[in-house]
Amino acid sequence: MTPALAIRDLHVHFPGRKRLAVRAVDGVSFEIAAGETLGLVGESGCGKSSLSNAVVGLVAATSGSIEIQGQQVVGANRAALRHMRANVQMVFQDPATSLNPRMTIGAAIAEPLLVRGLATGAALRLRVEALLEEVGLRPEHAGRMPHQFSGGQRQRVVIARALALRPALLVCDEPVSALDVSVRAQILNLLVDLQSRLKMATLFVSHDLSVVRHVCDQVAVMYLGRLVERAPAAELFATPRHPYTRALLASVPDPDPIVQRAKSRVPLSGEIPNPANPPPGCRFHTRCPIAADLCRTAEPAWRRVGGGDVACHFAT
Amino acid sequence: MTPVLAIENLSLSIAGVPVVDGINLGVDAGEVMALVGESGCGKSITSAAVMRLLPGAVSQTAGDIRLAGESLSRLSERQMQAMRGRRLSMIFQEPQAALDPLSTIGTQIAESLRQSARAARPAVLHMLDEVGIADPARRIDQYPFELSGGMCQRVVIAAALIARPELLLADEPTTALDVTIQAQILDLLRTLARERGTAVLLITHDVGVVADIADRVAVMYAGRIAEAGPVHSIFAQPRHPYTQLLLASVPRLSDVPKSPLAVIPGRVPTPLEFGPGCRFASRCPRADAQCVAQTPPLRPLGDSDVACWHAA
Repeated sequence: MTPALAIRDLHVHFPGRKRLAVRAVDGVSFEIAAGETLGLVGESGCGKSSLSNAVVGLVAATSGSIEIQGQQVVGANRAALRHMRANVQMVFQDPATSLNPRMTIGAAIAEPLLVRGLATGAALRLRVEALLEEVGLRPEHAGRMPHQFSGGQRQRVVIARALALRPALLVCDEPVSALDVSVRAQILNLLVDLQSRLKMATLFVSHDLSVVRHVCDQVAVMYLGRLVERAPAAELFATPRHPYTRALLASVPDPDPIVQRAKSRVPLSGEIPNPANPPPGCRFHTRCPIAADLCRTAEPAWRRVGGGDVACHFAT
Repeated sequence: MTPVLAIENLSLSIAGVPVVDGINLGVDAGEVMALVGESGCGKSITSAAVMRLLPGAVSQTAGDIRLAGESLSRLSERQMQAMRGRRLSMIFQEPQAALDPLSTIGTQIAESLRQSARAARPAVLHMLDEVGIADPARRIDQYPFELSGGMCQRVVIAAALIARPELLLADEPTTALDVTIQAQILDLLRTLARERGTAVLLITHDVGVVADIADRVAVMYAGRIAEAGPVHSIFAQPRHPYTQLLLASVPRLSDVPKSPLAVIPGRVPTPLEFGPGCRFASRCPRADAQCVAQTPPLRPLGDSDVACWHAA
């Protein structure tokens, strides 16, 4: 079966200072099967947002291949892209800036359907009402403006709009990071519920590992423009193999003081190097607790370990 | 023992609308007290009141704030100005925004000592080392833009603590940082508080951060304290329904993936919607007529204090 998303050797570079390109995404490959949710995690500057922006076509890929349901995005012409965008929709972090303040939320949700000529008149109104109900809002909310809603409700509206075209792939970039804890739980429950009902593939970009663990089937960990590990979620959280994945997991504070304080701390020393001038060999070696001479010179190959893939000379 | 910080019956209002309503809170030397709550609960404005940095529209309508027994409310602005940075300091969420982009970090840290950059140089170098900045001799002459976010927060902490204040207010100090850097900064705050005996009032919405470094916790909801107590009691046996739901709504690395998380229905009432009773009543699964009509007092229960008619 055609995967919902297939990325091969993707590069996204931006012009940087002194003619050094910032290699935000530097040779990434992965697939998302139909109906599956992949969590893309990493710290700020690792390239996860550049990657998701390239997938929806908000930034141009420098090289490599992005296929959505078998259709090539990189280098596609406008007509092809326009056709393809019906298949991929995006939900951003901040719902307040994702909605036009002068447009009723009903009009916002109807817009993608109108633009594509998929429904008009009474059929359109019914479709919008169904979408509102799908995300847990009431049909009579359609006439209200964005400012009449709380942050959590606005994110529901944004999700309803993204679902309007029934995309094969939903890209969520930190969809709950701007929300309060109790509201975050509501949106996470909604996303899990939509996954099981609509069987839609999702690329879920987040820095929050406990959120990713909660909603994702597969997890890919990114560091300085490259993937360091990809594995089924259960396996990655139970047996993280890459030292960076282990450090990330150890850094997430557990909301239980007994568990949290009993943890052996593996605080990662140092900071993320400059992506315009990444270290040679393994990019993580400057911060890695188990780095050896080999890591400073040779880039580790992507290899199969257990049910996942990892890029580390010493991972077992 | 007199606590370093005592907030007594503090009430704040904006244009006559109460936003903080009679809260009491104490922080002892060397202790980390976390003030937790969702946006709009009044936690940040409470810390601004302690620093006497309230926006013009907010007025203190009742209560007192004491630092080591001394009332801050009676001080003139000039006297208060002399206290800030020396006896009580504050750090914020955005370290880059807290630093002056046009002066070196050494000059900015020296400012808290009210000394020239040259005279303070040895002390500043020592402080930079203490907050874990590698190569202080080079960093001291750099500007904020040359430092990463994590390093800027270390600089802000150095500036806040170099004059050895008794109280540090930390308003979401790690919210803008990555998890691996957050772990480093929380370790640093805990170590410094313990070694120097600084009292820390930590404002946060992140229960993971609370579980990591707090000794005691006060949970705030709609301008009031819902529950306060030692961190282990609050997490092991939350007694207020709001605390219970708040803790249950957080995904944990140990729960079953995709299992439904606890949800608090509805939303936080705005100050204009506050009724005469418990402010959580409109969202509380246990609310009854008494809850809607009468405000529950904060009463001792086990190790904690709880403001709920039904908590047991």
